[in-house]
Amino acid sequence: MKRLLPLLFLLLPALACAGSLQPLAANDVATLLEPPAHGERIIALWALDCAYCEPNLQALARLRDQHPDEIELVLVTTDGIEQAATIEARLHGMKMDGYPNRAYAEASPERINFLLDPHWGGETPRVLVIRADGSRLGISGALTPAQLEKLR
Amino acid sequence: MRHLLITLLCLLSPSLSAHDGMHMDMPRGPELGASAAFDSHGRLYVVDAADGHVRLRHSDDDGRTLSAPIEVNAVAERIYAEGENRPKLAFGPHDEIYVSWSQPRTAPWTGFVRFARSTDRGEHFSEPLTVHHDRAEITHRFDALAVDGKGRIVIAWIDKRDLVAADAANKPYLGAAVYYSWSEDGGASFVPERKLVDQSCECCRIALARTPDGHVAAFFRSIYGDNIRDHAYAVLRTDGQDSTVRRATFSEWHIAGCPHHGPGLAIGADGVRHAVWYEAKSAPTIHYGQLDPGHPPQHATTIAAAGASHADVAVHGHTVWVVWNQVCADGYTLMLRRSTDNGAHFDAERAIAHSGGAVGSPQLLTKSGQAFVAWNTAQGFRLIGVAP
Repeated sequence: MKRLLPLLFLLLPALACAGSLQPLAANDVATLLEPPAHGERIIALWALDCAYCEPNLQALARLRDQHPDEIELVLVTTDGIEQAATIEARLHGMKMDGYPNRAYAEASPERINFLLDPHWGGETPRVLVIRADGSRLGISGALTPAQLEKLR
Repeated sequence: MRHLLITLLCLLSPSLSAHDGMHMDMPRGPELGASAAFDSHGRLYVVDAADGHVRLRHSDDDGRTLSAPIEVNAVAERIYAEGENRPKLAFGPHDEIYVSWSQPRTAPWTGFVRFARSTDRGEHFSEPLTVHHDRAEITHRFDALAVDGKGRIVIAWIDKRDLVAADAANKPYLGAAVYYSWSEDGGASFVPERKLVDQSCECCRIALARTPDGHVAAFFRSIYGDNIRDHAYAVLRTDGQDSTVRRATFSEWHIAGCPHHGPGLAIGADGVRHAVWYEAKSAPTIHYGQLDPGHPPQHATTIAAAGASHADVAVHGHTVWVVWNQVCADGYTLMLRRSTDNGAHFDAERAIAHSGGAVGSPQLLTKSGQAFVAWNTAQGFRLIGVAP
């Protein structure tokens, strides 16, 4: 048993790579927006069609890796889950498949966009920060170094 | 230890089965990107894409029943048919049917603009051709299609060849270029494409409309200065002269990103350029205005705010209609505002249709002065008549 456990831990990243992508339905949004017990949750919204999104995701991943105990990073693509194969391939190509990943469960994004943040019209990249104290911050577009600083 | 292992296994199995289920349940069939138009006989045509084919259907009863689909491209290929991309449809002077679409290539963000025509009211289509002469595996996407007063088929699209060249030379370049081409021979061939403008938005649909003197005009999201994503207006010249591109909106929305939200344009017989566009400088907002290129739009007014998206505009005489999708508690509502004084004032918004599921961008059509809205929904294509 003791020998089996490390093996399982070794397998975990591979299993994550093989398909960590989960759907995000309208009914799931409230849970995703619940304030974390401590620190903050960063919801990184991106789209297959958005060439600005990859550097944004990389910057947020670096920030999260510098503060793994304080920041929970969740990637959400506004593309529909029916494009799972394409989305997973892109996540793998960006080396972002190790993080929690969600894709919209609906074929048109506007309703989930609105539920996530009524002040957001669907432009990507978009970052939504949910802090333990319940406060929120939303920023559209590629993050500047100054904006990245403000996320923490 | 044993306890931990069991917990781990429990954690793993639901995620694995959910993943498998997701793939098994993957929906197939038509995407929501569709276009519709009436021909000169009042027959409605609809194009959308399913299983690698652009497909054409028609209706002789204003959308209540649709014909069986005819495949525009006999050989299946990949087709962009969601979000700001959808197959396009236009008619020639003798009801020739022209169809264009964007074809994804292998690499992300790449595409070719494709075209096919039918001269027998949609019974047969020509083999699709690639409109642009440039064959680099880059972005040539977000095609827009119109026919000018002399029957020329005009196609404009977003093109990244100049971005690629600038990157190679280590020069800064924001966004992508807009290119266009036209056909003088009814769609048998297209002239070598020409650049309309550099550094425009790379992810928003281009709106085309015919001017009273028969030219095709374009209204699209451009880039000014450091990623100010306002809109530009240009008449697309087909006489070899350069087109004049002028800034037409002045919202000053700065975003280093993709709005995924292009504008709408309708030009009246009096030449008034009715436009709708989206920006989110302080909050998501859809605007109406009459374009006065080089200056801020006239009669500018706010049409809708949070939860509103993908507006379209149409004009007939002095009646102007604006429609858009509005998020509601259980899906989407199709909203309408109407002006009977050529856009000086609009009446209050009203809901004209509802969908519990996903919806495509609404498209306003007119026939004999009556307005209709083509609305593709998860439950199927709908044509909604607008009460006079």
